[in-house]
Amino acid sequence: MPVRHVQIWLDGTPHQVPETLTVAAAVLQLRGWQGYRRHVDGSPRAPLCMMGVCQECLITIDGRANRQGCLEPVAEGMRIERQGGSVHDA
Amino acid sequence: MMPDVCATDIAIIGAGPAGMAAAVRLAKVGHRPVVFDMNATPGGQIYRQLSELQVSEAVMGKDYARGRELIDAFQRADIDYRPGTRVWWADNDALGTSLGVLEKGQTQHWQARQLILAGGAMERGWPFRGWQLPGVMNAGAAQILLKQGALVPATPPVLAGTGPLLYLLAWQYLRAGIPPSLILDTAPATRYGEVVRQSRRAWFARSYLFKGARMIGALKRAGVPIHQGITTLEAQGDKAVESIGYRHRGQWKTHSTELLLTHFGVTPEPQLARSLGLTHHWHASQQSFVPQRDDTLAVGANLWIAGDGGGIGGAINAEREGQLAALAVLDKIGQGDPEWQRERHALLKARRRDLEARSLLESMFRLPEAWLDDQPEETLVCRCESVSRGELDRAIAQGGAGPNQLKAFTRCGMGPCQGRQCGESVTRLLARRLGWTPEAVGYYHIRPPVHSITLGELATKE
Amino acid sequence: MAQRDFLIVGGGVVGMAVAYGLARAGLSVTVLDESDDALRASRGNAGLVWVQGKGVGMPRYAELSFEAAKAWADFARELTERTGIDLEYEQRGGVDLCLDAEEARSRQQEYTTLQNASSFLTQEFRWEYLDRKALTPYLPGLGEAVQGGTWSPHDGQCNPLYLLRALYAASHSLGVDTHPASAVERLEATASGFRATTPRGHFEADRVILAAGLGARTLAPMLGLSDAVHPVRGQVLVTERRPPGARLPTPQIRQTASGGYLIGDTHEDAGLDKGVTLAMMQTLADKAVRIYPDLGEARLVRSWGALRVMTPDGNPLYEASTTHPGAYNINCHSGITLAAFHAGGLSDAIRDDRLAQSFPQFSGARFHVPAT
Ligand SMILES: Cc1cc2nc3c(=O)[nH]c(=O)nc-3n(C[C@H](O)[C@H](O)[C@H](O)COP(=O)(O)OP(=O)(O)OC[C@H]3O[C@@H](n4cnc5c(N)ncnc54)[C@H](O)[C@@H]3O)c2cc1C
Ligand SMILES: Cc1cc2nc3c(=O)[nH]c(=O)nc-3n(C[C@H](O)[C@H](O)[C@H](O)COP(=O)(O)OP(=O)(O)OC[C@H]3O[C@@H](n4cnc5c(N)ncnc54)[C@H](O)[C@@H]3O)c2cc1C
Ligand code: FES
Repeated sequence: MPVRHVQIWLDGTPHQVPETLTVAAAVLQLRGWQGYRRHVDGSPRAPLCMMGVCQECLITIDGRANRQGCLEPVAEGMRIERQGGSVHDA
Repeated sequence: MMPDVCATDIAIIGAGPAGMAAAVRLAKVGHRPVVFDMNATPGGQIYRQLSELQVSEAVMGKDYARGRELIDAFQRADIDYRPGTRVWWADNDALGTSLGVLEKGQTQHWQARQLILAGGAMERGWPFRGWQLPGVMNAGAAQILLKQGALVPATPPVLAGTGPLLYLLAWQYLRAGIPPSLILDTAPATRYGEVVRQSRRAWFARSYLFKGARMIGALKRAGVPIHQGITTLEAQGDKAVESIGYRHRGQWKTHSTELLLTHFGVTPEPQLARSLGLTHHWHASQQSFVPQRDDTLAVGANLWIAGDGGGIGGAINAEREGQLAALAVLDKIGQGDPEWQRERHALLKARRRDLEARSLLESMFRLPEAWLDDQPEETLVCRCESVSRGELDRAIAQGGAGPNQLKAFTRCGMGPCQGRQCGESVTRLLARRLGWTPEAVGYYHIRPPVHSITLGELATKE
Repeated sequence: MAQRDFLIVGGGVVGMAVAYGLARAGLSVTVLDESDDALRASRGNAGLVWVQGKGVGMPRYAELSFEAAKAWADFARELTERTGIDLEYEQRGGVDLCLDAEEARSRQQEYTTLQNASSFLTQEFRWEYLDRKALTPYLPGLGEAVQGGTWSPHDGQCNPLYLLRALYAASHSLGVDTHPASAVERLEATASGFRATTPRGHFEADRVILAAGLGARTLAPMLGLSDAVHPVRGQVLVTERRPPGARLPTPQIRQTASGGYLIGDTHEDAGLDKGVTLAMMQTLADKAVRIYPDLGEARLVRSWGALRVMTPDGNPLYEASTTHPGAYNINCHSGITLAAFHAGGLSDAIRDDRLAQSFPQFSGARFHVPAT
């Protein structure tokens, strides 16, 4: 099962990830659950459903905030920023 | 400037087993239905990523590989398949149904004379203390990671909840070389008694039961502890899960883990059906609302629901329902053929048996009705707006005597998930507090957008 | 238990404001309401506590709106003290936008006329027309396509849902009992007052107040009251939460305390259909992005349609029945703004049975002028 990889930028760092992944899957693979995002109430949150239901995977993609990371496939050169990720000590 | 309306005779929402089977059946007699699906590849939930397989059959099991045939047929047939499209709005119109479709940031207005909804199911939102912590995830979501890129957890997870999918994932992790450290089942150990009590159903369900027994046997042989009759569950930690707590045989226990994967069954994805104002009834055995369908799966004059979106029946049943809906559409447009009577009867008969088998599984994996009552005050029911069980109870006492009144009083269900995660919990809580049936309590009013869309995407470009 | 002083039909913001006002005055009140999915303007409105433009053609209504707006701050504080619920009320002024030159011209003319309509208004009503540039400090980020707007310091906003909740909570704490899913089918006079028939049984009281919104169309005639209300649909969009800003509220769009933008202001004749339409949602999205271009990126999280309770002239209906003394009808299309007045001056007038004397202009008789 050979799979092509694409280069994405996560919080400014380049990574190679399989092109079949969604953004949320790539971030979980690279960084795990902790530090994924901070909710409006200030609590730490991370993807729950991976299928477009829960809205827990919100993330900034190519400068656009609050994209559903679990519905967007990764793409070559994509820039991903975790929201509030930097304030976590993840 | 209004965007042009794209018209089609037949549209299908969803390219899971139900939607694919319907499309293939329609294509067989020369139709070219439009199929909208959010995912990048066909397959729906069960056969996700199967068309570009990422993980071996030895790990996933035969049920996954079985979808290959249907996907091939779907890809070979002349079908106007539109991956990566989200139907965010639907409304009845004079000719059939109008659809708002979002594709690559552009909104399109479609008009479908006949529409088959095959949007499938979702995992049930089932509140427990700490379920909002990073590191708590749905078991089905973890399975999606597996399917998408053979991603497995770095450390052994705990699996908790109940239902076939929980054991399937546990078994798949075992095959992938990362067996769960613990399985906590909320169904009572006495559930196997159901097999004896419902022996006729057990016969219909024998393949499910054998499969389940094989998986559980393999897990036990591998030394995975399985505890049944779990009555309380909580996730503990600061920035993410560090440990879990649970009650087993009256004893409170803790266990450290970074990942808690839970599954409390699946329920029909409600948003499109609800936003179309379709009548729903409470399915006591499935413990959820399901849309009211007639024998031909119709829910309106030009509208059908096939697959798990109409009530949980599993993948094979979804495929059959897709075919049945296709036949009903053909009848409706005057292209039915008496020759198909036999096909229809066989499908209906198989469906009846399958659903009987299901009802045995439903009683074996029954969820505790009083679960929410037993939750501590601070358990979040609405994750989006962080509304707790205690806050809901206060608002009920103040006159929040229905899901919509409660939503107004507390913001419960007002967040971006549009109540998908809390809707039925709220119905359940109100039913218990008011002493009404879930049907009498009702559900949130659902309005578009049923999928996320920005104002810029919605605004018409001048 | 002795017979209650009042039965109120309708648990929307109008019925609950009056229930609260009467209970606060020591009277015993029972509220009957329909089920959760009933038509209920009180759950679908924009939450403006709005004065400018009210009462064009009826200066007395403008005066009541002023009275209500003035009382709102104390009213909100009192409800919060009683219930702990923050109504998110603020009065920083507001702007009614004009999207083109014609709208700007006719608006100014309208307000000038209104201001000259009574000495009270000449003295009290402050407003100013500001062009786009002059508006920008009040509405940072305002789009190029906006012509200007009328600014007025009297306007404000609240969370209308928390208002409703607070009215319920405060009323309950004062002994009001509310009955959901108890739609009144029949109203009639008895020897000692009135009786309401519902699927959950009969309710009786000395006097009865109809605050049933559009429900008045069937109920009011039973007590010789006016049924002259009709639905006018408004569709509303709400975005996800955005960083809080200092933008003043406008009837077209406002940022709520939780951060979402609420976009509304359509007026449609759609019968009793409270749905939303793609065309109107697109129109609203267009308008929002023209007003604040930065909202193009904002995700829409909710939308709904709600039915305004409208009288033929758009002004409130406050009437006491002449055929059934002790029966009253209260209806209006700005029940949020007027809530402070409904709980205050209006409840007092009902308590003292001097509604017709105190507010003669608002009687339903004005819609039922006998043909000559
Ligand atoms: C996460 C998850 C994992 C599962 N895994 C298994 C499994 O491994 N084995 C098993 O037997 N059963 C599994 N199930 C149960 C599963 O529901 C059924 O077995 C089967 O997939 C149902 O088929 P379906 O065609 O009815 O719906 P689905 O397979 O769910 O297909 C529905 C499709 O419609 C699309 N869709 C929905 N709404 C829209 C919209 N508004 N716009 C565009 N597209 C839309 C979805 O993206 C999806 O592709 C799983 C369920 C879930 C929720
Ligand atoms: C889109 C929109 C925006 C608005 N914006 C504003 C604004 O910004 N500011 C403002 O001040 N106002 C605004 N309004 C108007 C405001 O919402 C209404 O004036 C107010 O809610 C009316 O309250 P109500 O209690 O009379 O009506 P409703 O809220 O409709 O309540 C009537 C109640 O009576 C009950 N009822 C009806 N029939 C029966 C029966 N037979 N038996 C028992 N109960 C019955 C109903 O169930 C309902 O609960 C807006 C309205 C709309 C639709
Ligand atoms: S993880 Fe649930 S919507 Fe993306």
